[in-house]
Amino acid sequence: MTAAAGPVLRADAVVIGSGAGGAPAAARLAEAGFEVLVLEAGPRVETPDFEPDEAAMTARLGRTTATASGAQNLYAGACVGGSTVVNDALCWRTPSEVLERWRREHGLSDLTDAAFAPFVEFVWEAIHAEPTPRSHLNRNAHRLELGARRLGWSGEAMARNVRGCARLGRCNWGCPTGAKQSALVGYLPRAERAGARVLAGTQATRVRVSAGAVAGVEAVQRGASDEAPVTALRVEAPLVLLAAGVLETPALLLRSGLTGGGAVGRGLQFHSSVIAAARFAEPVHGYFGPTMSWAVTEFSDVNGHAGPGFMLENTAVHPLVTATSLPGFGAEHQRAMQALPHLARAVVVLRDQTRGRVTIDSEGRARYEHALDAPDLERMRRAQRELARAYLAADALEVFLPVHGLAPIRGEADLAQLAAAPLDPTRFSFLYAVHLFGGACLGGSREAGACRPDGELWDVRGLYVADGSALPSNTGVNPQVTIAANALRIASALAERGPRA
Amino acid sequence: MSDARRAQAVAALSALDRRSFLRLAGLAAASGLLPTGCGAAPAPLLPPPGLELRFLTPRTFAVFTAAAARLVGPAGAERIAAGRMQPGVRAEAFLASAPSLAGTLRQALLALEFGIPPLLAKLRPFTALAAPDQEAILHELMDSRFEIKRLLFGGVRSLALLACYGDPVSREWFDYPPERPRAGADIQAAHDYPSDS
Repeated sequence: MTAAAGPVLRADAVVIGSGAGGAPAAARLAEAGFEVLVLEAGPRVETPDFEPDEAAMTARLGRTTATASGAQNLYAGACVGGSTVVNDALCWRTPSEVLERWRREHGLSDLTDAAFAPFVEFVWEAIHAEPTPRSHLNRNAHRLELGARRLGWSGEAMARNVRGCARLGRCNWGCPTGAKQSALVGYLPRAERAGARVLAGTQATRVRVSAGAVAGVEAVQRGASDEAPVTALRVEAPLVLLAAGVLETPALLLRSGLTGGGAVGRGLQFHSSVIAAARFAEPVHGYFGPTMSWAVTEFSDVNGHAGPGFMLENTAVHPLVTATSLPGFGAEHQRAMQALPHLARAVVVLRDQTRGRVTIDSEGRARYEHALDAPDLERMRRAQRELARAYLAADALEVFLPVHGLAPIRGEADLAQLAAAPLDPTRFSFLYAVHLFGGACLGGSREAGACRPDGELWDVRGLYVADGSALPSNTGVNPQVTIAANALRIASALAERGPRA
Repeated sequence: MSDARRAQAVAALSALDRRSFLRLAGLAAASGLLPTGCGAAPAPLLPPPGLELRFLTPRTFAVFTAAAARLVGPAGAERIAAGRMQPGVRAEAFLASAPSLAGTLRQALLALEFGIPPLLAKLRPFTALAAPDQEAILHELMDSRFEIKRLLFGGVRSLALLACYGDPVSREWFDYPPERPRAGADIQAAHDYPSDS
């Protein structure tokens, strides 16, 4: 489609993306007196417009794609507020082990606990993160907790960023009461009150660079419908912060010819996930209550744990997500779905070791080259085994592991079939990742990452990366707080210099 | 051709090397034994009149509908056959939010429709097979030792389940209280359990 030439806009700073990284950065800069323009490719959907339709809202608020092989689904928010609108509101502080690794392996020597913690705490307070109270732990969470307790495992109620949660169970397809303190209801209104402008439906297509410094961005702005004309925009700004998420930020750099000597695109890493379900005699009603709230931390390798590197977290039982995560098809699949009110579900959050790479094809479209390696697949198998054990310990009648061809697990003896199953992502019913990292990593040297420790690209003055792409590794915990804290750290340094620096 | 003879023929075809297979397939096609697939898909599987397809073709729409009926199970198949569920229409809507997946999906559906040995153990288009034979083909894909076949299965399965369970008609065969009026009592029930359990 040809875009009609549109206006040239000017700003002190352009922020590409309005999610966990872009929104706090925009707010910080705007409150420091910068004239800020936020470009968001997705639509602006306000809280009253969040409908109780899982399929429609999932499609409207997010973007689904897959790794280059097609074996792993990737999902991210694609609306004003980004993934903070479609996440489960879970909040974890950045683990010390993660910061230590970034210092040791990536040369980020200044990123100490003491240096990073103030930004984490600032975010924690701003998004109203607090531990989930007992009265909000639903039966779905309780089944996982019960199993873990009987097995003697560690676990905890997770913190969530909510105010006055009505326990409707729709956190991850648009909280309909505005209780979830997503960027849409928190940081972005703050930024706008300070004068920032948010342009929804506006996709940055290219970063413009002149004489080694950023000059602005080119973008296209879609109309309200598919048939509406597309307008080409040019924004001139001496400061550009990329926060379009891992699915887009590295690709945007590559499309702009900014390869960082090969560093851009490198370091792609996920928390890979699969979901198991368990059927109980009593109804679980796992569609009500916080969509996620309790975690088994026994097998984590952060926050003082020394496990193999995965967490197990309860997750909601809505039809679409349950249907795709249950294995097999046909009559057996239907039988499991008909037990929906009696199902509990939990997700494996694997801290992958596998690294991949973002590239672009001849038309500039992103490709996510990533394939879980054998050690990660072994850990995924172990995680499924432990999850089945937890549910059995909690008196599940049967456990549906997310591997095609596996019969339901009705006792520990049945787990032998899991041990014997071939390891391959394409045998999982639904392998996915929503926690995405890297592709434009921070590093203490050009060799270590695409960006300087302060987030600026090594080769382009004024061009910063302030989203999950900048994180040099996965975090082992849900990452929204870490992404926001890092963005705030980057924006705060710029804010201190002032808009005319 | 009877089921037994068809199975025999498929087994024999699967064992052939490529050159022999092509020779035999040419011979079969010339003698009219092998349907060319040039005919239209069965009418009940085709898109409803007036539906503008953006991502699927009429043929791939039909293949998707047939596959979805097998994948979702008998309750859904019954409603698809009755025209009360139209997974193809919902797939179109989903693909609008994930256009990067559309090309791959179309290829997968064409392979499912026209694939013959050694790719798939059938000699006729998928949409022309009886339901048990379609199920057998899907099982073959799911359990295959070839990654490409499992990928094909996984992609079609995911979209079929999204399309079918995204349809409110599916609530006729399972209970989903969030869509009932006055769910407040159910919300409380979801949080009640013995404190010492």
